[in-house]
Amino acid sequence: MIPTNEHIAALIREDSVHKSVYTDPVLFKLEMERIYGHAWIYVGHESQVKHAGDYHTTRLGEQDVVMVRAADGTVNVLYNRCPHKGAKLVADGDGNVGKFFRCPYHAWTFKLDGQHLSAPLKSGFEGTCYDPKHADFSMVSVARVDSYRGFVFASQAAYGEDLKSFLGGVITSIDNLCDRSPVGEVEVAGGIFRVQQRSNWKVFYENLHDTMHARITHESSVDAARGEAEAIGEMPFELLIMDGNGEPYDFWEKLELRAYNNGHGYMEAIFDPAAADRDIVSREHFECLSKAYGEERSREILGMNRHNTVIYGSGSPHTVFMQFRVIRPLAVDRTMVEIQTFRCKGAPSSVFDRALTYANVINSPSSNVMPDDVEVYARCQEGNMTRGGEWISMHRYAGQDITLEDGAISTNGTSELPMRNQFAAWKRYMTTTLIAKESTHAA
Amino acid sequence: MLPDATFDINTTALNAVTTPVETLRSIEAFIFEEAKLLDQRKFWQWDKLFTDTGMYWAPQKHDQDNPFDHISLFWEDRMLRAVRIRRVENARNWSQQPQTQTAHLVGNIAVEGTDDHGNVVVSAVFQVTEWRLKQRQLAGRYTYKLAAQENGGWKIQLKKVQLVNCDDVFENLEVFV
Repeated sequence: MIPTNEHIAALIREDSVHKSVYTDPVLFKLEMERIYGHAWIYVGHESQVKHAGDYHTTRLGEQDVVMVRAADGTVNVLYNRCPHKGAKLVADGDGNVGKFFRCPYHAWTFKLDGQHLSAPLKSGFEGTCYDPKHADFSMVSVARVDSYRGFVFASQAAYGEDLKSFLGGVITSIDNLCDRSPVGEVEVAGGIFRVQQRSNWKVFYENLHDTMHARITHESSVDAARGEAEAIGEMPFELLIMDGNGEPYDFWEKLELRAYNNGHGYMEAIFDPAAADRDIVSREHFECLSKAYGEERSREILGMNRHNTVIYGSGSPHTVFMQFRVIRPLAVDRTMVEIQTFRCKGAPSSVFDRALTYANVINSPSSNVMPDDVEVYARCQEGNMTRGGEWISMHRYAGQDITLEDGAISTNGTSELPMRNQFAAWKRYMTTTLIAKESTHAA
Repeated sequence: MLPDATFDINTTALNAVTTPVETLRSIEAFIFEEAKLLDQRKFWQWDKLFTDTGMYWAPQKHDQDNPFDHISLFWEDRMLRAVRIRRVENARNWSQQPQTQTAHLVGNIAVEGTDDHGNVVVSAVFQVTEWRLKQRQLAGRYTYKLAAQENGGWKIQLKKVQLVNCDDVFENLEVFV
């Protein structure tokens, strides 16, 4: 039975949430309709489909979609379904379909915008309502597609705010990621890791700005990095990025957490990459940018030192180390993360080397840091299945954040503001009255 | 470290060699011992099997050319291997409670040739049964570059692990494959 809006609203309090938001498959199904069916969700980057016919498959909520480059350069996002018998038109992954999609089942073909092109032995349709121009015989486009600086987003709802309004202030993180290139462009490069977590998707979003977990959950990798740095007598980049989680509480308290409407936000950086012993990358990068933008602007760009950014529903860009951890919910207790790495066009190759190293060391399935996160998420998932209590606390600094026109800012870096902000967005999506789609049957 | 593109990862353009049976036997014994150390979680002893510059590499894509312009599941020198070992041995390694247990089966061992530095390039097929809370099977091909030692033994200059599902969706890979 679908819960009423009143029932759903009661699951979210100012300072706590009911555990069923992580464990109830009915709520998960509703999230796929009411959040992933409406919000702008990151599909992929235009650089993943460079040439006409190039495609990249992914998921918007529970929906298999394909992002494809048309001959005129437009990037389309279509549901991966042939309108004839329903077969997925392309296999999951990346590739090139050529000039049109061709179904492997009965050879129905479709233009790169999804329009019906042809079906064999057309005489068989005589006297039926078969109509190549009717939507029933074409691939279906996702309702709205837009891109910002190469980042392609799609919304499954035909109505609602536009992409820029949806992103609000968090757009500055996408800008900063791109501005780190002397030509203002990035491209996905070097492959994409895919990692599975045995937990609900929301716990990962909450953890991204959870400054109170770092030194506790990551004690094993902090100890390992510090022990090794002591043994070899230096702190190179690979160790510095593991060491950062071990900062004492008063360090985290001073960080700034910024929340924007729609559940988005960012946290200030934990470490300065230039602090690594023998760091050459920051200097090379600064010199390169200075030539393009001048020293003052370059200092401003590289000085915007943010750690994880959250684009709620899409995932988490890391602007400094050029990553995007794209978060894809699979089931109420299963989540997949696609880790994209970006090459900063025109920047020294060492900037990309550093991004690759960060992906390998921090975000890969073999990371020494992530497993302890993934373990505690799974323990939350399992613990919340017990009868040992109903509510999840997010009381820390509740009522003490500073409200701004477009969100809020923490007064203490250990505030659970980001979680409260995410659940405020969740509640709004989940309880807003929805407009039903009208029937478009051909007959 | 950042990717050191001077490391020679070539395992295909090789010089042909004929390998005496006793050399092949000693290589097999070395590889079986290496697998046993992993199964016994004697990771520090295992790490000593590498040369000082030796690398442990698991490509993320099939036919991946190198670890320098593409992500890798593992690309670890002595420092990064030591960090992994330190972490799995740390008392507060929440994700190693219980520990990962493994059983390695290595076969089809063949000498492929030598590289330009005189390292012997050896290929093998492996199956690893891994257990932590549930069982998982890992399989693929190992390619070693082995450096002959003065005492007659071997050291690993490169251990390349090509998983059959290298580009799959993975749960954590916490210990060496």
